[in-house]
Amino acid sequence: MTGLPILDISGLCKSYGAVRAVDGVDLQVDRGEICGLIGPNGSGKSTFFDCVTGLAKPSAGAVKLDGQDITGWSLNDIAREGRMLRSFQKTVVFSALDIEENLVIAGQMFTFPGIWSTFGIGSAARNRVAALRERARELIKIAGLWDVRFQPAGKLSGGQQKLIQFASMLMPEPKLILLDEPMAGINPKLIERVVESIRLANTSFGVSFLIIEHNIDVVTSLCRRVVVLDQGRKLAEGTPDDIVQNQAVREAYLGG
Amino acid sequence: MTPAELTAATTGRDLRVPFGVALVALACAAPLFLGNYPLHAMIIALIFLLPAHGLNLLLGYTGLLSLAQAAFFGIGAYTSALLAVHFGTPFYVNFLAAGLMAGAIALPLGIPALRLRATSFVMCTLGFVIIGQAIAKNWITLTRGDMGLAAIPKPWFALGPASFTVSGTVGFYYLVLAIAAIATLVAYLIVRSPAGRNMIAIRENETLAESVGIPTWHYKLVVFMISAAFAGLGGSLYAHYLTVVSPLTFQMYYSTTMLIIVLGGGAGTISGVIFGSLLFVGLTEALRVAPELRMIAYGFFLLGLVFWFPSGFAPLIGRFWSFLERRK
Repeated sequence: MTGLPILDISGLCKSYGAVRAVDGVDLQVDRGEICGLIGPNGSGKSTFFDCVTGLAKPSAGAVKLDGQDITGWSLNDIAREGRMLRSFQKTVVFSALDIEENLVIAGQMFTFPGIWSTFGIGSAARNRVAALRERARELIKIAGLWDVRFQPAGKLSGGQQKLIQFASMLMPEPKLILLDEPMAGINPKLIERVVESIRLANTSFGVSFLIIEHNIDVVTSLCRRVVVLDQGRKLAEGTPDDIVQNQAVREAYLGG
Repeated sequence: MTPAELTAATTGRDLRVPFGVALVALACAAPLFLGNYPLHAMIIALIFLLPAHGLNLLLGYTGLLSLAQAAFFGIGAYTSALLAVHFGTPFYVNFLAAGLMAGAIALPLGIPALRLRATSFVMCTLGFVIIGQAIAKNWITLTRGDMGLAAIPKPWFALGPASFTVSGTVGFYYLVLAIAAIATLVAYLIVRSPAGRNMIAIRENETLAESVGIPTWHYKLVVFMISAAFAGLGGSLYAHYLTVVSPLTFQMYYSTTMLIIVLGGGAGTISGVIFGSLLFVGLTEALRVAPELRMIAYGFFLLGLVFWFPSGFAPLIGRFWSFLERRK
């Protein structure tokens, strides 16, 4: 897996008034890599994600996805055109809809690319919807949510909602997924399942990942490379072992 | 999906189809057993069904509360009236022009308005109605101000040398029924399409919808325009039915009526809106027997509705279906 990194961020800055939430961060994610992003609360990780995925406009810097400059694109353009998807720190699902609807919605902008073709009437459009449903059902089975697939997503537990969110992101065959604290608030058993799902998506579907996570065990087991942010700047970068040994990181984040 | 739709979706179609056919047959036969006045009420209900469908797409499916329906209703009514009075164009030209005009005007209005957050957007749409009325009152050279436009011809169709005028209540009833049926079909096709699913996604969670690639801003704008076009078409029918339009066509009362139809019937369901328009227009007409108590009774009815059926009558319709299903 050589060549261009799938995600290439250089000199990314985001200021809110006088506060520099993200201050000149460079970061690359290689094709097929699972990269970790850690740092204390308020270190600018989520703001960094928002700027990369188009939810916020960066004040300076450039974001290149698969060689294409996507700086300043909107969230929906990046998702649709760039096939770079993200999760949110607070798990969100379409709560009133069942799991299958959630997944179909997550996939349909990719099978009906233009704004206008989505009004599609006729057999071609119907076949596409049928194919989407088929894929949705497959992913529901893989995620182990088959028994609850007709329940409104909002009625399910936080952990199940995480799995729905994760399955939704796999609907469109993405190139890169950015996960914002995927393990927050779920029990140890489910953590294993989510870790396995990430590995599976990485190896079988070839999806690259950039993951914000506080659970250092998860980070060390999943990622080959970890980037540490502190106060909006990159504090360190290296293998999980290097990071755990790094004195500056221990002081700023890991403690002791 | 609302619980009603869920129940409807799980209880097969075999019952809904014959029931729908019976309902259509009943609607077609209505002039045989309804007197002139109830038929008039039916016509008004079916005319209001169009803007209500539009508002349902916007509020019920996309989650945007707009009070501007009366403004687009008025624009449609005036467009139709002006064309008919000044150019003597046939009905279908006026009718389509009314829809197009309302939809087109919604574009420059929607672009700034949809940038606003929920409450500000509502206030902004309220402003459109007031501005619309002010223009209708004061652009006297075009609209004749408070005098309004009178003697709007009854709908007439021209096919080559032959022409045909829809006169009389029964004729107009069938015209409106046909148009309302087509509008219902269009609304149904929209909400059942992938686009309709995207609209629901925006209603449920706009940021999440955005993050799965849905261009939420374009969607909201297009739905706002479609909703305005529906209102404009309704306005055109209204103008040709009453044969008069005045600045009173732009009144908040109409916007609230459409809102009550959608919320009372069941936002986010097509059948609920049909039910709502028949019920609420029928109710205002029926209450005319006691003119001094009319609005008070209407108010109490609405209070009762909010207490006992907070999500409108649609869940009730859903329960009715599952009841039939269980008996089968």
